[in-house]
Amino acid sequence: MTKDTGRNVLLPTNEDTCGPYFPIYFQDESLEDLTRVGPGIVADVAGKPIILRGNVIDRHGNLANGAILEFWQANAKGIYRTPSTACDPDIDPWFHGYGRLRSDTGEYSLRTILPGGSDGRAPNITITIFSDGISRIVTQMFFPDEATNKTDPLLSVLDADDQKRLIAKHDGRTADGAEVFRFDIVMAGEGETPFFDDFES
Amino acid sequence: MTEFGRQLDIGPTDNTSDQRTPRKRLHLIPEQARSSFVPVAPARFTTRANEWDMTRISADRPRATGVPIEVTGVVQNENGTPVRKGLIEVWSANHFGRYRHAEDQSGLELDENFFGMGRVLTDNEGRYRFWTISPGAYLARPDIGRWRPKHIHLSVTGGSSRLITQMYFPDEPNNVSDPMAILMGDAFERNIGKPYDVSTRDIDQGFNFDITVGGKNATFFE
Repeated sequence: MTKDTGRNVLLPTNEDTCGPYFPIYFQDESLEDLTRVGPGIVADVAGKPIILRGNVIDRHGNLANGAILEFWQANAKGIYRTPSTACDPDIDPWFHGYGRLRSDTGEYSLRTILPGGSDGRAPNITITIFSDGISRIVTQMFFPDEATNKTDPLLSVLDADDQKRLIAKHDGRTADGAEVFRFDIVMAGEGETPFFDDFES
Repeated sequence: MTEFGRQLDIGPTDNTSDQRTPRKRLHLIPEQARSSFVPVAPARFTTRANEWDMTRISADRPRATGVPIEVTGVVQNENGTPVRKGLIEVWSANHFGRYRHAEDQSGLELDENFFGMGRVLTDNEGRYRFWTISPGAYLARPDIGRWRPKHIHLSVTGGSSRLITQMYFPDEPNNVSDPMAILMGDAFERNIGKPYDVSTRDIDQGFNFDITVGGKNATFFE
């Protein structure tokens, strides 16, 4: 098959569930704390350290064990590290913005920095979820008290209830000098988190 | 308010799929937010020298029980551009259908010579290769006699390409009743490894499994 670009267009391999046994062995601690480059490495990640914590919950309100969460965010100045920003002066040399963890129980915790807003967007973190029973699904979370939430183009496509479901709550605590935010992900059913379609859009 | 994206389907006879599949249609991403949904993984992948050969736990250990196989293929996006220096994480059950995973409570036999986990990198043309043991099928739903067919899990991460999938085997009797295979329909064919003869006495059978990462994310920066 050929699209009008003249390039070959191949049929995609089907995504499939990761099943219940994604190897814990593959965990990489440097992807679970984005404020730290590696053990013993001197590096100053710019920005306000935060901890994002929450539960992944199934249709019956139970914890969804064995979920894999991947995170993607801009740095403190709102710049994503992509092939198109390689020469941007606001790139933080110590911040790549990509996190991954496997939650054994369904509870998760990521240490990172508060992302900056960019391109008319409110500060946000993209979350990709893999789990037994489903293929990859994606959403985006936002922070409370950000004035730009009111004009964010993604939040704007949602009704008021769904908007609330994407905005984290202040936990009221700090841990290791980082402010804690709580963001629960409801995979299905009552209070279901809005998810987004990155194939059709 | 907005147009909607896909409605995800629940895998038949799959309880976890029933518990975890979103019931609402997915939302379309407005153009102004689309680029923020393209994660780019840092290429800091680690793999050990002998990890490509999962038929042994290490080079100085005996071969695991079962049929040694080779899996090869190319990883590319829909335009045919190879995913270069990407990471493929591989995991599977052993010959007896048991995972060496703390949460596998099946009680099936463990093999002291089989890890069932390994990582390989793609080369500059997107090609990959590993050896492993042909995995066993296992009874996933004893109450209704439904088996999970033989399969190998593969997770691909490279640049903005991200895919978790499974390679199935041809002519397996349990393929037709697998919940995810049922959801794939005719496209299930794409997830079956293609057998080829191998010319080494170390391996009994080869399977070609080319992986095409679909969607706009994988081609976003082309």
